[in-house]
Amino acid sequence: MSSNPEDGRTVSRRAALTSIAGAGAVALAGCTDANNDAGSGDGGSGEQSGDGGSESGSGELSGDISIAGSSTVFPLMTAIAEDFQAENSGVNIDISSTGSGGGFSNYFCVGETDFNNASRPIKESEETLCSDNDVEYVELVAATDALTVVINNDNDFATELTVDQLADIWAADGASTWSEVNSEWPDEEIERYGAAETSGTFDYFNEAVLGERGHTDDYSATEQDNTIVQGVTGSEYAIGYFGFSYYFQNPDEVTAVAIDDGDGPVEPSLDTASNGEYTPLSRPLFTYPSVESLGEEHVAEFARYFVEQTTNEEIVANDVGYVPLTDETQEEQMSKLEDAISQA
Amino acid sequence: MATETGTKFQAVSRLRGTVFEYVSLGASVFGIVLLAALLVYVSIDAFDLANASPQWLLTYFLTLVVPLIGFCLYSADDRQITRRTGLAVGGGLVVSALVFTGVEALVGPIDRLSWPLVYLFVFVVPTTGYTIFAANQETVGGVGFGLLGRLLGGTALGLAVGVLFLVFDPQLWMLAYTFGLLPAALAVGYGQWRPDSGMSSKALPIGIVGLVVAVGLRQVVPMYPTDFIIYIWSVSMPIAAGGAALVAGQRGRTAALSVGLVPLAVAVAGGFAAAGFGLPSKTVLLVLVTAGVPVAVFISRTLTDGEGTIGLVLPILLAAGVLVGALIVDFAGFPAPDPWLDPSYVTSSPSRTPVDAGLYPAIVGSVIIIALVAVLSFVLGVGTAVFLEEYTAGSGWMGALTRLIQVNIANLAAVPSVVYGLLGLGLFANFLGFGFGTAVTAAFTLSLLILPITIISAQEAIRAVPDSLRQGSYGMGATRWQTTKNVVLPEALPGIFTGTILALGRAIGETAPLIMIGAATTVFSAPDSIWSKLSAMPMQIYAWANFPQAEFRYGVVAAGVMTLLIVLLGMNATAIILRNKSEGV
Repeated sequence: MSSNPEDGRTVSRRAALTSIAGAGAVALAGCTDANNDAGSGDGGSGEQSGDGGSESGSGELSGDISIAGSSTVFPLMTAIAEDFQAENSGVNIDISSTGSGGGFSNYFCVGETDFNNASRPIKESEETLCSDNDVEYVELVAATDALTVVINNDNDFATELTVDQLADIWAADGASTWSEVNSEWPDEEIERYGAAETSGTFDYFNEAVLGERGHTDDYSATEQDNTIVQGVTGSEYAIGYFGFSYYFQNPDEVTAVAIDDGDGPVEPSLDTASNGEYTPLSRPLFTYPSVESLGEEHVAEFARYFVEQTTNEEIVANDVGYVPLTDETQEEQMSKLEDAISQA
Repeated sequence: MATETGTKFQAVSRLRGTVFEYVSLGASVFGIVLLAALLVYVSIDAFDLANASPQWLLTYFLTLVVPLIGFCLYSADDRQITRRTGLAVGGGLVVSALVFTGVEALVGPIDRLSWPLVYLFVFVVPTTGYTIFAANQETVGGVGFGLLGRLLGGTALGLAVGVLFLVFDPQLWMLAYTFGLLPAALAVGYGQWRPDSGMSSKALPIGIVGLVVAVGLRQVVPMYPTDFIIYIWSVSMPIAAGGAALVAGQRGRTAALSVGLVPLAVAVAGGFAAAGFGLPSKTVLLVLVTAGVPVAVFISRTLTDGEGTIGLVLPILLAAGVLVGALIVDFAGFPAPDPWLDPSYVTSSPSRTPVDAGLYPAIVGSVIIIALVAVLSFVLGVGTAVFLEEYTAGSGWMGALTRLIQVNIANLAAVPSVVYGLLGLGLFANFLGFGFGTAVTAAFTLSLLILPITIISAQEAIRAVPDSLRQGSYGMGATRWQTTKNVVLPEALPGIFTGTILALGRAIGETAPLIMIGAATTVFSAPDSIWSKLSAMPMQIYAWANFPQAEFRYGVVAAGVMTLLIVLLGMNATAIILRNKSEGV
């Protein structure tokens, strides 16, 4: 179960016990309850730091953690945050799904959030923005994703694509019908559903598959995997791409394309992504904690907890649908994190 | 002209008129039918009715729906209504079974629907609604549903107060109540008892001084009673006293004492007992008081009037129906649906597993935002409307200013909500430093968003007050302020309430401005102050709609939509009650 009912129960039992004890005393005189930090919260001073410390029944940590960024990393982050909050009821974590770029430029690099999730490494322009605002950060790998290209279940000709064919389909100067990609394929328009330009998925796909050819404008762009699946299930001649977790949870709705990067077609799966066979579309996912925030104990603890959980197969693979880190990578990330914490 | 040339009357074709009539009818039911279909699917998903076995449905139909309809028919006591109801319930069974099987045979299976469900939604639900309406017109039904409404409404009120105390400081409230509100109320009471003492006019200064004292004391006093005692002293006792006062005027002291003390004692006892069952004792106390006092007042009034007392059994009838139904289902082992919208859904936090996922932090966030928005938009909206309608001149520079404001307000009503989000981001979050995604920023932004609607509806309500009333007041020597306060506003209040609450309904469903001001998609614990970052129901529902697991997209989202709708209906019901009450005054 999640944290809240338990939290509510412990608090209410405690409150009830004090109330019962209190009611006896109040019959004679006013009973008092001194575990109250006077003047907290109501001063209207706009303070945002967690001052509800007295409410936390278990755990010594308290404070707020704000997280924004990639919608691809969002499910992983919520899953880990859920467990962390269940153990530390004094910590309030809020998570927004804003897209990697939106999170960096609107929240993280102006100092509003403590973490930013990204499905691609930070860009140069964002680095500049961060350093302009004196926001230092450390890059942590969170998991590996197998970017999945999907087609309609009735499509039986394009179940295997080479990277060149994929580029022909998605490039700005590419094909407009399937027969232009391969003359044996039907002479039908290609219907494309892909990630929006603010998305890290778009950036990664662009770089890994298209290179300098550039992404076509002739496609339905969205941040919502759901929309892509609906589009692809709706037409036999449609194609789309998104992160692996959606396909992992709904393998029957659409067909994943096996990608041939020169060594024969490879289907996306947790195995092929982790052993490096699924190229070039397996990609690392990141989260960027701010060094300044890591100076606060509850943020540092959460960051440690996060890195610890990145090898947890139950959460990362089964519940969310990404490839967990290897122990080796995890150790690297942890030492990187500890360095940053000691700097802060 | 026509009389000279025309020699006989020509038949005018009625075709166009008839066609127009039916096209209009189609237009008016088009949206309703589509929305009804959507809501049926949403409720099927939210309550997992697709997996309800026919025996399960039949059991509850017999133990719950049939007694309810029977009660309504008994109350309505009208042969025609009885006949119609019997026809709809009996005939509907045959019709829906035949039509549905026919459609399935001819067209193909319909996803997640079965004929018992079609029967339930197309015949049983509307028929029950109709009989409830008919019963409500008569005394017995009025008593029954009046009692039921007070139970449900009081419970909702208690929960809402409990939620507000999560954020607002109970200690400050206790001080404000003890030093400000209570003395002021006593002064008013004394003034009414001894009109020549002039205490009534002193109530306001007493109250203000008390509030200032309370705010000052809150900074220095370090020790407070526990929250439970604060709730007894400063929430439960005034409500009980109010209930007692209502009864005392008509039915003497004994009745008043019992109406006040019995629910209070039950609530306090219930609050203590709740701790033993692992329930939150403070919430139980609040709910028992807010539901218990109105119920006690209502029962006392009904018993004194002596009419339709049999209606008081309705809640018992329904509770017994639920209980017997549950026993039968349990005993016979009928497969029961596993609804997504259950108590744990509204009391637990979001989760990665659909079964554990809950909406509690988002519900609290929405309720707090709406409470703040209600206060802000009411004050600002009514203030503007009063100024525009009562205080402006028609000519001169003041008249020009009024027209300018008027035109701008009308145009602001059409500005897209995203733009208000940008305004909130720039003004409240950044410039004034209220913080990204805090309750205060969200409330100010949404207040601005609905302000034009509030102002325009309040203006309409004030404009509808007959001018003769104002002139009469002026004729008796009243000033403009006295006229506005004593004549115009009380008369316009029902309309103002209606407009404000409809606007609030829009505010609670808004997502775009919340995204712009940086409200969180997901938070795991309820906000503990108005400055903490929060999520709202539409934000969380939108996030779930994009989760990979199908259970989220169909089950959890549907439950969220139902919760949002229930809160919205609760608000609208409040609006109707407030309107009816203020019309009655």
